[in-house]
Amino acid sequence: MRLASLLRHEVLLAILLAVVLLILSFQSDKFFTVSNLLNQGRLMTETGLIAIAMTFIIATGGIDLSVGSILGLTAILTGVFWQNVGLPLPFAALAAIAVGTFAGFVNGVIITRFRVPPLIATLATLALYRGLAEGISQARSVRGYPDWFYVLGQGEVLGVPTQLWLLFVAAILASIILAYTRWGRTVYAIGNNEVAARFSGLSVEGTKLALYTVSGFAAAVAAVIFVSRVSTTRSDMGTGIELDAITAVVLGGTSIFGGRGTIVGTMIGLCLIQALKNGLSLAGVKGDGTIMLIGAVLILAILASNLFERSGTR
Amino acid sequence: MGKVLLSAFLALSFSTSLSQAQSAWTGGDDLPTNPLACDATPPTATAKPYDGGEPTNAPDRKGKTLEVVDVPKLVGIGYFNATSKGIADAAKEMGTMNAKTDGPSKANIDDQITLIDNYITSGVDGILFAANDPVAIAPVLKKALAAGINVVGYDANSTPDARQWFVNQAEFNGIAKSMVDAMAAEIGDDGAFAIVTSTFTTPNQARWISEMAAYQAKCHPNMKWLETVEAQEDNILSFNQANTLINKYGDEMKGIFGMTSVATPAAADAVTQANKCGSISVVGLATPNAMKPYVSSGCVKSVVLWNPVDLGYAAAYVLRAVADGDLKAGATSVKAGKLGDLSVINGSEILLGAPFVFTKDNINDFDF
Repeated sequence: MRLASLLRHEVLLAILLAVVLLILSFQSDKFFTVSNLLNQGRLMTETGLIAIAMTFIIATGGIDLSVGSILGLTAILTGVFWQNVGLPLPFAALAAIAVGTFAGFVNGVIITRFRVPPLIATLATLALYRGLAEGISQARSVRGYPDWFYVLGQGEVLGVPTQLWLLFVAAILASIILAYTRWGRTVYAIGNNEVAARFSGLSVEGTKLALYTVSGFAAAVAAVIFVSRVSTTRSDMGTGIELDAITAVVLGGTSIFGGRGTIVGTMIGLCLIQALKNGLSLAGVKGDGTIMLIGAVLILAILASNLFERSGTR
Repeated sequence: MGKVLLSAFLALSFSTSLSQAQSAWTGGDDLPTNPLACDATPPTATAKPYDGGEPTNAPDRKGKTLEVVDVPKLVGIGYFNATSKGIADAAKEMGTMNAKTDGPSKANIDDQITLIDNYITSGVDGILFAANDPVAIAPVLKKALAAGINVVGYDANSTPDARQWFVNQAEFNGIAKSMVDAMAAEIGDDGAFAIVTSTFTTPNQARWISEMAAYQAKCHPNMKWLETVEAQEDNILSFNQANTLINKYGDEMKGIFGMTSVATPAAADAVTQANKCGSISVVGLATPNAMKPYVSSGCVKSVVLWNPVDLGYAAAYVLRAVADGDLKAGATSVKAGKLGDLSVINGSEILLGAPFVFTKDNINDFDF
């Protein structure tokens, strides 16, 4: 029965996405072209990577608000390690990703060891990491990366943007882990009933610690892609990206109370938002109108899904 | 082993922050400065070849109606409302341009890039922009050029090869000279001052501050630089930051520079509310309407700016001239409607004019 209700939301969302794509392609003949759609894939990769990790976290009933700040910190460190410390760029990027992952690990430690609610813990580290990024950057942007580095954010492999491949692989891996492994079921179990999960002998703390660390890692990888895409580093990179990621996850049917959610849903949610942003802009709707419409779609999708779930389960 | 490695990384990141913090930091950028002469000697212009970009395979747009999008740093603030009014005025006057303004609601690099990307796909003839970051915006502008779109910047530049022309409201060293001279006239050649800016990464503000530091060191060497604080482009934050400065430095601080059209009125308001009018001077960049109350009460004596309506107006005319093929590499001036001939500087920039200082005597003649 649970599986049926899960399916229902994703199917509903997929239908909604199809309808939206159809309507938008009538609004502008530039919308439903291969080059535009691939280009949109490029633009949503960073949010997508973060949203994948966020799906796991929200499915445990947690949240990670610090991802945007981790993105900013990692971006700055990539530049600083390379230009000021003098590491070769690949090592600089790896070292920065390591620090970003560590930042996620710190979130996990605060949440699991000191029992701080995730909302509070990551709200605090949101400020902390952003402050670190600004302090380290000292308002200086790092620019002038070598050309090969831009392949990651601006290049293509087999005609598809490089970073989109990365998103595909991450999404497929994550869906398999969440849907088919013992670890994935632990995530749902924690979200449904943490106490029961603990009494069942599941490693609640270990799982959570791993999830927040992975979330930091995802944000850090997104940071390097971001730097490569916009060819500069700034300490304010990634501001507000946590909300975009959370929106995609929630629209995708993951319950904010935990215990429910799929990667497929998140990916459809992500595509839906990106299609709306792009398609409405091409159709001549201004930025503020687009944001309003996305809000309306979010509410409608959740209302509709709740309605279906109720009639299905009662 | 893992822990050792991680703490090593953390130590590394902290040490880099410390080593960078040792240099004196004013909020400026690290680019070379070019302070003007202390008296009114005009700057010597150095000829420089055209360094802007070219659109590939642009269709012949001469005399045809242009579809133009204007993408400012952000929408909804007085300053960019004024520039888009100037663009709309010019478009109406010409009758051959449909211009619309669409920008991010926050001064955010990614939103601005995405917006421009979408307009490239939708197929506009021309893009006018004010960059949130000169380098971050460059790839998407180059993409526009590659798609045959005419690209002209105003207010905040990109790297030169990512656009065709840039309409420069006033040169950085000119603004810096006007600001520092006005402050020195009010607080004396040995006064101490602080600065409220937007963010340290905002290119224009950082550039102005660098030029101010250079000009002050050259022409008013005894003035004292207390601190530069960030206040985004946020009213309340700007007020709080100015208030903090007033409380922190007490009688030592004689003046506050506001670097944005939001920070300057907020600083003036903080000084007024602290009853420090007369003992703390406020000099800054701001639009006249926001400053009228403080100027007429005598709390603020000089407001430095250019006319943003003219800036947008000039940018629209420049775009038209570029699309028509009238403004080419090597040109020395361009006709901009009622503004007359504007001169080309720095290879591919068009100078609007010298900065303007609003005072009690003239501020009521302006309404924007």
